Amino acid sequence: MPRFNFWTVVMILTWLLLFVLLFIPVGSVLVSSFYDQSGNPTFANYLKFLGEPRFHQAFVNTLVVGFGGLLGALLLGSIMAFCVSRFVIGGGRFVSLLAILALVSPPFIGAYSWIVLFGAGGVVRGFLRDLGINMPPIYGVGGILIVFSLKFYPYVYLMVSGALSNVNRSLEEAAEGLGLTPLQRTFKISFPMVFPALTAGGLLALIHAIADFGTPRLLGRGYNVLATEAFTLYSAEVGSNMSMATTISVILILVSMVFVMLQRYMSRRNVYHGNMINKPSRIRLKGWRNVLAHFAVYFIGLCGAMPVIISVIYSFRKTSGPVFQSGFALQSYERILFNLGDVVRNSLTFSIAAVVLIVIVGTVVGVLVARRTNFNTALLDGAFMVPYVMPGIVIGIAFIAAFNTGPIVLTGTATIIILSVFIRRLPYTVRTTASSLRQISPSMEEAAVSLGYSPFQAFLRITVPLIVPGIIAGGMLSFVTAINELSSSLVLYVGSTMTMPVRIYLLILDGDFGTAAALSTVLLVLSGCAVYIAFRFMGRNEQALL
Amino acid sequence: MSYLTVSNATKQFGQSFMALNGVSVAVERGEFFTLLGPSGCGKTTLLRSIAGFNDLTSGEITLNGANLRVVPPHQRDIGMVFQDYAVFPHLSVFDNVAFGLKPRKVPAAEIKTRVTQALDAVRLGALADRLPAAMSGGQQQRIGLARAMVINPQLLLMDEPLSNLDAKLRIELREEIRDIQKQVDIATIYVTHDQEEALAISDRICVMNAGRIEQVGTPQDIYGNPQTRFVAEFVGTLNLFNPGAALDAMLGHLGLSAAGAAAWAVRPEHLGLIASGATAPADAAVLDGIVTKFTYLGREAHVGVETPAGNLVVQLANPGMAASRAAGEKVSVVVPQSAPMAFDAEGQRLGRKG
Ligand SMILES: Nc1ncnc2c1ncn2[C@@H]1O[C@H](COP(=O)(O)OP(=O)(O)OP(=O)(O)O)[C@@H](O)[C@H]1O
Ligand SMILES: [Mg+2]
Repeated sequence: MPRFNFWTVVMILTWLLLFVLLFIPVGSVLVSSFYDQSGNPTFANYLKFLGEPRFHQAFVNTLVVGFGGLLGALLLGSIMAFCVSRFVIGGGRFVSLLAILALVSPPFIGAYSWIVLFGAGGVVRGFLRDLGINMPPIYGVGGILIVFSLKFYPYVYLMVSGALSNVNRSLEEAAEGLGLTPLQRTFKISFPMVFPALTAGGLLALIHAIADFGTPRLLGRGYNVLATEAFTLYSAEVGSNMSMATTISVILILVSMVFVMLQRYMSRRNVYHGNMINKPSRIRLKGWRNVLAHFAVYFIGLCGAMPVIISVIYSFRKTSGPVFQSGFALQSYERILFNLGDVVRNSLTFSIAAVVLIVIVGTVVGVLVARRTNFNTALLDGAFMVPYVMPGIVIGIAFIAAFNTGPIVLTGTATIIILSVFIRRLPYTVRTTASSLRQISPSMEEAAVSLGYSPFQAFLRITVPLIVPGIIAGGMLSFVTAINELSSSLVLYVGSTMTMPVRIYLLILDGDFGTAAALSTVLLVLSGCAVYIAFRFMGRNEQALL
Repeated sequence: MSYLTVSNATKQFGQSFMALNGVSVAVERGEFFTLLGPSGCGKTTLLRSIAGFNDLTSGEITLNGANLRVVPPHQRDIGMVFQDYAVFPHLSVFDNVAFGLKPRKVPAAEIKTRVTQALDAVRLGALADRLPAAMSGGQQQRIGLARAMVINPQLLLMDEPLSNLDAKLRIELREEIRDIQKQVDIATIYVTHDQEEALAISDRICVMNAGRIEQVGTPQDIYGNPQTRFVAEFVGTLNLFNPGAALDAMLGHLGLSAAGAAAWAVRPEHLGLIASGATAPADAAVLDGIVTKFTYLGREAHVGVETPAGNLVVQLANPGMAASRAAGEKVSVVVPQSAPMAFDAEGQRLGRKG
């Protein structure tokens, strides 16, 4: 049968793809970590990791920013989720727009905006100093944690508000009927119901926090984490140490693996749905409570969106060289137009190429996973987990380790950047396609077959139109990830393949905030358009951004 | 030869499980044929092998004399109505119904008239341009019905089309299905596990159990003359007598016997109640007993009576106020001579002497 052959070919190609883009890079990282710089097998790298205080520090610091980010995100996210889903908050849609803004803006923009406000020469800090209040600059672990909390709280907010609005009010009423006080009720009924969502959202924040490279790099000022350590070892002009960089990558993979597993376990437990006849209603607060709730929600929302606001404002400020002058001008945009056109073009072409690949391959493989259960799709499903545990910096280093020499040489090409984005985002598309296919009743296609359409035609005319809006939406969200990707591109770029995030990062290091802000604004506008299109196709669904 | 024949159909799932185990049925032109049986007995499996969605392990299917098993499902020209409606959510009601006419190369003008007719038949004419997503289950199933009928298929298959609807709508729609089927005169196989539904709409019923056929017959046959104990118990309810002296005495009194009888049974509605000690009518036996339970259901009442021949349920039609019985009351159960049925150890119905 030709159909069988088609799917067999798809299966073989999928494994081939995974082999080249996943197993070889991961394998190369692993192998490289067991060799020294001159190519002799050794355990020395791991012994060195265990022996050197600097690496211990990086390991501990990684956990500190991870758990710190988790706690901060939990605190802000659950306050916001609780207020928004239980109280009447004016402009609720605006608030969740603020959360989306925080979510789609890349974290390194956040880092630099906070530097603008609270850095050594920060505006707010300067203003406070004039008032006689001396506050330390934001650099160091404190700054990193503030940025992470404000950047990652939407994960907790979106997951918990989803769960909270699914807690059947009858349960709380029943508890009330049993004589529990409101506080007892919260802890005994509502809390256990949202606990899985809380932990799942918090762990998501943690995973992103330990994978993030830009924030500790820009704000840390010597506060090293595994991601920055790996990058430094890899990129040092003198004494670049690939073996050690890969060793740290392996450790980073292991650390995130633990938390990704935990996160998946908690999300699976997040299934309290029940019947929703008795939807929880929102209470209209009065007096100071109302003010407090509104203040909390808007404070968190605006702080989270602050980087976006700052970069938009600063992008229009008049500059002289890298220094800001008073007044507004379009100079920064002019600079982009005249000097950085190729960077914008690179970003767009790479992202579009990656998204097209992701959509085509992801959809075909998603169909394979959902419809051909007789193949070894469980294994395939498992293999697709791997990119989830690979921080961008590790993917970058892994691709260098795999494709610098040997049969396939890709370093310095646009292809390697496109493929690195492709492999990280592919699992997401495969999963969403497979799950939306599983939601379409098989009798739908059977109905078409019984009406005289061949199975393939039935698939094209019934199933495809039903999943296409979801695929377009998923593609748009992949575009957002692709165009904002910094860490893997930073490892993989050469002069001719520089992308917008890399350029922004370098501009910030050079102190050219005006151009960085303008470039960030362009990035934000592009991301915003993509999110808008995605929501047009699948309805406003913030959960899909997670 | 019948219009549709299935002979010796078997379907094996996994290593040893037989979902169909030697099933043979024959359906005539224009006939409304129902497959009735408990969950998991293989009704869907049989229906889907006729539709071509799963192939039999062995056996033959012919439609109008032609071997159906070699025809791919989309060329079988068999209309199907699904339990979950399977209405296409991205197409309007009109386009849903027109969907099957397109591959048949029907001219556009004719599509318009045929679809309009079909929609009128299911009383959805006014909703033709709407999208089906927000419609009620009953409306969606009407779309499904119109869509399957409009192609004038050689055969119409329906797999529990009403089981997702509420009770009242189920009755309403089953009458409609029955009327429309008679109008278009397409042979139909209808699957249900609701015995009342099967009795109400079928020309003939095929009762299945564990991958085998128990009995095929008209509704009257199936209910009034069940050939196996399974059929008697599944369609309607059955009182089983306890074997023993009391049963033997009763059978003796009625002059009944059956060689090899392993069980005697009687339907609740064939029994009557009289005051304890009152004289029995002619051609009937009485069993003295004590009322254990009285359930009033409006149109009927069920009285549980403990007798020496076992606990019997007596069904009283149109019970008046006076028919009420209290637990502990002494009564006599009337067993008419025609009522008891005998079954052998395998559950096959036995002929009675006397
Ligand atoms: N694809 C399959 N693989 C394995 N077993 C199956 C498969 N399809 C059906 N079965 C088994 O075959 C038996 C008959 O299934 P079938 O769906 O025909 O029952 P049914 O009479 O339609 O029941 P219901 O009234 O619940 O729909 C069941 O025990 C079922 O579990
Ligand atoms: Mg069934």
